[in-house]
Amino acid sequence: MNSVAVLTERMVRNTLRNDLPFAVLAPAGNFVIFNLALRNVIDTGGIGYPQYLLPVIIVQVTLIGALTTVDRAARDHQSELGIRLRTLPISLLAPLTARMLYCLIRGIIALLATIAAGYAFGFRMLGGFGHLIAFILLVLTLTLALSLAADATGVRVSSASIGMTGGSSQILLVPQMILVMLSTGMAPVESFPEWLHGFVRYQPVSQVTDTLRGLAVGNVAVGSLASSLAWCLGLLVLFGAVAVRMQRRTQ
Amino acid sequence: MIELDGVSKTFDGTILALQDVSFSVATGSVCALLGHNGAGKTTAINILSTLMRPSYGRAFVAGYDVVQEPAKVRESIAVTGQVAAIDWQLTGRENLVMFSRLHGMRRKDANDRAEALIQQFDLADAADRGMVTYSGGMRRRIDIAAALVVPPKVLFLDEPTTGLDPLSRRGVWDLVSSLAADGVTVLLTTQYLEEADVLSDSIVVMDHGRVVANGTSNDLKRRIGISYCTVSPVNPADLPKILAAVADFEDAQADEVANTVSVLAPNGVATLSEVFRRVDRLDVELEDISLRKPSLDEVFLHLTGSVTP
Repeated sequence: MNSVAVLTERMVRNTLRNDLPFAVLAPAGNFVIFNLALRNVIDTGGIGYPQYLLPVIIVQVTLIGALTTVDRAARDHQSELGIRLRTLPISLLAPLTARMLYCLIRGIIALLATIAAGYAFGFRMLGGFGHLIAFILLVLTLTLALSLAADATGVRVSSASIGMTGGSSQILLVPQMILVMLSTGMAPVESFPEWLHGFVRYQPVSQVTDTLRGLAVGNVAVGSLASSLAWCLGLLVLFGAVAVRMQRRTQ
Repeated sequence: MIELDGVSKTFDGTILALQDVSFSVATGSVCALLGHNGAGKTTAINILSTLMRPSYGRAFVAGYDVVQEPAKVRESIAVTGQVAAIDWQLTGRENLVMFSRLHGMRRKDANDRAEALIQQFDLADAADRGMVTYSGGMRRRIDIAAALVVPPKVLFLDEPTTGLDPLSRRGVWDLVSSLAADGVTVLLTTQYLEEADVLSDSIVVMDHGRVVANGTSNDLKRRIGISYCTVSPVNPADLPKILAAVADFEDAQADEVANTVSVLAPNGVATLSEVFRRVDRLDVELEDISLRKPSLDEVFLHLTGSVTP
């Protein structure tokens, strides 16, 4: 496990410097813009818009953060250094594990930045310590699941054709936008046309933001929590298996 | 120490990168894989260093099967590729420390090992600068140093001198020789006959994924003749006349681009003087007549019957 520590340290030292402004400013910026634009437009009932909005900003930031993982994994895997690592007496999974630890560190920083911005506009963590921990763990589980998916994509793309790596994360922006915009994270389901209700209500971003909102106020429905956990853990296991398989696959 | 037994490698089921390749390298010796681009040299290295699996056949490194026991193989080998495999955002020293720690050393031991390598590879002035400021020769040295943080049993060097100036090339040659003297088995790939000649105990000539010749440098030279005799006329229009006069020599051919006629010179100076005598009778003004070592193209011409791979 020494090798994982060394490789993670390398990423934190090198990559975080360039990554940090984006990891901190993007969530805060997104929160401020959406809050200013939509707080008087969308009726969220008894709950203030900053309180309503913050969870979906976290999910969006997690999704965008995962996109940066695609190119990083592609570069890492296909670089001369990445190839040499596969000839060293270390686990074949060490580079992947290091990249995932880095994603979690980056995720924690982005989460703190988003919550800090939220506090400035009136968002509050009203639940107890247990709710806070659950809130953080759910976000990190989602971060890990999405990062694994992004990593597998990056490795796949880098093996298939190196020229495409720049474009791959751009293509993935589209489903990300659809999932965030067409969710109950931005606005309650009533604001969407009726034929979309089924999708909007049950898609994972809606489920997870609903649970996070509940955890933030200290009152979460068991059904909501179970559904979010099922999504996050399900994606984690699925994408984890795919990402590990991509690493193990030698030509 | 290294053994390939009927190794073939196909990509996408159709492209045949290696075809029934067999050779072995004795412990503590240097073997050169000689061939043009695309001959299959890098594919062979990739299979031996566990980066690729052979499609058919078996390969052993340090007594371990590369498919069955890849982890054991990785404990015994070090690899340097054609491009320096280092972290460009770190200094030379930080790279060496990182690789030492990846080999399981504690931080203090890793620092000591990095310092020792910096001294050994004469990198003291540059060690604490970013890698991007390094010259080609320094990058190659740090890359090889990174491969040697833990002395390997087997070292693979993929075109270690490509793109280096003559002085740096000489430095790499000295290094390879001293490693072999310390008992490291070295397999290197090269496109330069001279390099294979100077460095290696044995040479494996590859072409189109096949082994076309295998032996010591002297074996191969005996097979392809010691040298070539080359004649250049002042007037290129005289080339056909000269070629006709020496047509009965082995491998006689005219090269209009280089403005030369060359023949194999198995008897060295004796062949040269015979060629000179015949050309002298033709009443042709000569620019140059000389003996020279065969080029890799001529090795291929002789061994495979085709110059272009």
